[in-house]
Amino acid sequence: MTDKIDFISREKFMAELMRYKKGSVSRRHFLGVTGLGLATTVLGSAVPGLRRAAWAQGNIGDRVVLATWPNYHDPANLDAFTSETGAAVDMSVFGSNEEMLAKLQAGGSGWDVFVPTNYTITTYVSEDLIEPLDLSRIPNYDAGSFDQRFAGPGTVDGVVYAVPKNWGTTGFAVNTNHTDGKKLTTWKEFWDMTMNEFSGRTMVHDYQLTTIGNALKYFGFSFNSIDPAELAQAEKLLIDAKPHLFAINSDYQPSMRSGDAWMTICWTGDGKQMNRDMPEIEYVLGKEGGELWSDFYAIPKGAPHLDAAYALINFLLDPAVNAKEVLFHGYPVADSRVNALLPAEILNDPILYPAADLLSALEFGAAATLTDPNRAELMARFKSA
Amino acid sequence: MAMRPQYRTALFLLPAGVWFFAMLVLPLVVVFVFSFGERGPAGGYVPAFTFDNFLNLGARWTAFKNTLTLAPIGTLACLLIAYPLAYFLALRASPKLRTMLLILVIVPFWTSILIRSYAWIFLLGGRGIPALLALVGLEDLRLINTPFAVLVGIVYGYLPLMVFPIYVSLERLDKRLLEASADLGAPPLRTFLTVTLPLSMPGVATGCMLVFILLMGEFLIPAMLGGGKVFFVGNALVDLFLQSRNWAYGSAVAMALVLIMLVTVTAYMRATRRWAGGRDEVSLM
Amino acid sequence: MRIYALAVYLFLYIPIGIIALFSFNSGRAASQFTGFSVQWYGKALSNRFVVEAFQTSFAVALASAALATVFGTMAALALQSVKGRVRVAFDALIYIAVMVPGIVIGIATLIALVTVFDWLNPLLAAIWPVAEATPQLSLGYGSLIAAHGLFTMALVIIIVRARVAGMDRSLIEASADLGATPFGTFRQVTLPQIAPAILAGFLLAFTFSFDDFIIAFFVAGSKTTLPIYIFSSIRRGVTPEVNAIGTMVLTISLCLLITAQAILQGGRKPTKN
Repeated sequence: MTDKIDFISREKFMAELMRYKKGSVSRRHFLGVTGLGLATTVLGSAVPGLRRAAWAQGNIGDRVVLATWPNYHDPANLDAFTSETGAAVDMSVFGSNEEMLAKLQAGGSGWDVFVPTNYTITTYVSEDLIEPLDLSRIPNYDAGSFDQRFAGPGTVDGVVYAVPKNWGTTGFAVNTNHTDGKKLTTWKEFWDMTMNEFSGRTMVHDYQLTTIGNALKYFGFSFNSIDPAELAQAEKLLIDAKPHLFAINSDYQPSMRSGDAWMTICWTGDGKQMNRDMPEIEYVLGKEGGELWSDFYAIPKGAPHLDAAYALINFLLDPAVNAKEVLFHGYPVADSRVNALLPAEILNDPILYPAADLLSALEFGAAATLTDPNRAELMARFKSA
Repeated sequence: MAMRPQYRTALFLLPAGVWFFAMLVLPLVVVFVFSFGERGPAGGYVPAFTFDNFLNLGARWTAFKNTLTLAPIGTLACLLIAYPLAYFLALRASPKLRTMLLILVIVPFWTSILIRSYAWIFLLGGRGIPALLALVGLEDLRLINTPFAVLVGIVYGYLPLMVFPIYVSLERLDKRLLEASADLGAPPLRTFLTVTLPLSMPGVATGCMLVFILLMGEFLIPAMLGGGKVFFVGNALVDLFLQSRNWAYGSAVAMALVLIMLVTVTAYMRATRRWAGGRDEVSLM
Repeated sequence: MRIYALAVYLFLYIPIGIIALFSFNSGRAASQFTGFSVQWYGKALSNRFVVEAFQTSFAVALASAALATVFGTMAALALQSVKGRVRVAFDALIYIAVMVPGIVIGIATLIALVTVFDWLNPLLAAIWPVAEATPQLSLGYGSLIAAHGLFTMALVIIIVRARVAGMDRSLIEASADLGATPFGTFRQVTLPQIAPAILAGFLLAFTFSFDDFIIAFFVAGSKTTLPIYIFSSIRRGVTPEVNAIGTMVLTISLCLLITAQAILQGGRKPTKN
């Protein structure tokens, strides 16, 4: 927890009350800054009838457009949102932050909610592509209950642009039916196996951050390096490994499950989902390190269905809904209210919550990797090689 | 309508002219201008004047090489598979069945190429054809995400486009010529080589050009059946605009592709015009 | 020969058969059959995004094909009496429009329109009288129709021109000699002769637009056409709903084709043309 105080001082409260009475601020704003909004929601979620009434307050339209990542939502929750609010969720799935950024840069994406990763948010802010959030419209977001380590990147220059969805790690998944009992523990083994025993059986992400980052890890460089000499070594490794890859794709579950692929760069939740159904597929964090990340809900500039966007984010941050999401997709959340609802076996799951020594080696992605032209071009060269 | 003929002609040409200008000339000029620019700090385009993008085209050499080998090979494969079928439909099939059989060739074309390619992901994947082959002792054969898989997708996707023009040219052909040739004692193969084949050349030329043009800009089939490992120029372009966000370099790659097509297609048309017997142009349909 | 044809038909229809088979799957997987059910057809038909994507594709295909056919036919007719530089320019444009790959058209249209809009939108905002109601130019129906129409208009011109070239000109002269107005001649002599070509051009244009993915992928903006919907469904993880959509489109087009064929055959005059 942080030492940030979530309740405003008495003076501030009175000042806000005066402003509200004079009519210079809206009720929404008043409830938001004073925390009263929060109180009503907490109350609301305790009494189901009350909460439904809150949804029904305004008509939010018949749809909300969500841009997110593969295998990242429980369809039942999205259906529940639709039956509660009347807004159907139009979901599209992306395999990299670059792809989302490109779509927003070209304009007219039509998205209402998207799911950027921690290190990209400053770029969205500087490119003027992201809407500052009106937290009073997301009463289910309780800043105090979130681990600041994972919630912090959503705030840029004191303005909240994004609220945390899930956090997780980037490791690799391996089908142990093919390893002859050998336990893989490092990125070095990942790439060496790829070019030998696992030739034609490994997948990497179609995503520069993780694919280049974990190639850098082979040499012990930083996951975030933009040093040309280090990137050149990573490129050589990637080009050497390319003929041995099964595919370059950020949605690797179908191929892993069908047995076509035996090993893949993998995110926490995908690792959990596969391991749950096929215990022989294990999730490994490379000892050298790799990525620790936090994903957010955010609203792009010009979102066509703003009310629905807020309603969807608020709905998904409802601790009860969010707990169901976690049970489905296997990504941990930074919200202590949700953790209180989760069963112990999830909270003790080593895939979701890796051992401290493994975790401490991980790095958050750096903003520079998103805009660095060399990393972008390296990835594109690797793909077209 | 009392209007001077030249005004009427101008009026008739105007909409098409405006359309060509706004949607073809203008965009291509923008691409041309952008190809001398630079990538913006977070991607996109900033104005500049540099030849770097063109000098750097070698970085996409493999994509150009894949396109320039698999497009002709794919065209040829389509032709080799389509010709006998078209021949069968035009000259051997019973007239009653012919229309039905012809419709059956076009119908797959009406189902989204996306869904049809998706079926091949399943068929060529480990649980599809390779699993069947394993039963007869061919173990560990990998088909999906190989150039072969892309080729299968290409033939599957474009076969109807090749069958049709060939069928039309064979169907138009004067059957009496074939009878005459047979009556004069020519063996069937000789009749085919000296009469049928030359007369069906216009259809062959049209079909090949159609398929070749579409293959040069192909993106979907390599994306779905190549697993990101068999990259065409089209895939490199999508990548440059929708991932690495280098509009300037992407524009240069696009210009290079257009130029290559202009040269190859023009050369092809010249060659086939001579070949197909001095016809004015290889018709597209 | 017959066996060969059978093999090719099997090659064409086995994948389609698999698509159709899994559309009746009761489970969520599109590759493991767990039981028979038609629930995915119901799901697809009641999914508003599927219905809207279909409507968008249909409207775009209809509009772009209609415009391309009308303008293309006009141009094809006019080009008959045009010589010199204009003729050369038009021939070159048609040639380039057919030859430039769809992906380049998509990208070029995208960056050109984004550039033009970035430039025009502030201008519009500055001169528009009502600040609140300023229209924003953006990608959508307009760009889809325009970009699809480009290629198909070139196609229509080629097809119709080939027909016009093969037309019996003595009839036109005779009609003019008999005192018919140019429009009357067109309606009663020219049009009936080129009608099959126009119809063929329209159908081709419609099909092209309806099935196009790559151009729409770049210029659709926030609109979703059916191919774009299918593409994003495949990325989301295929459920048999996609198979159901594909099977329905296939069945409808098959029925239309057979009906059209029956009508054509029934109405065909005994004389050969």
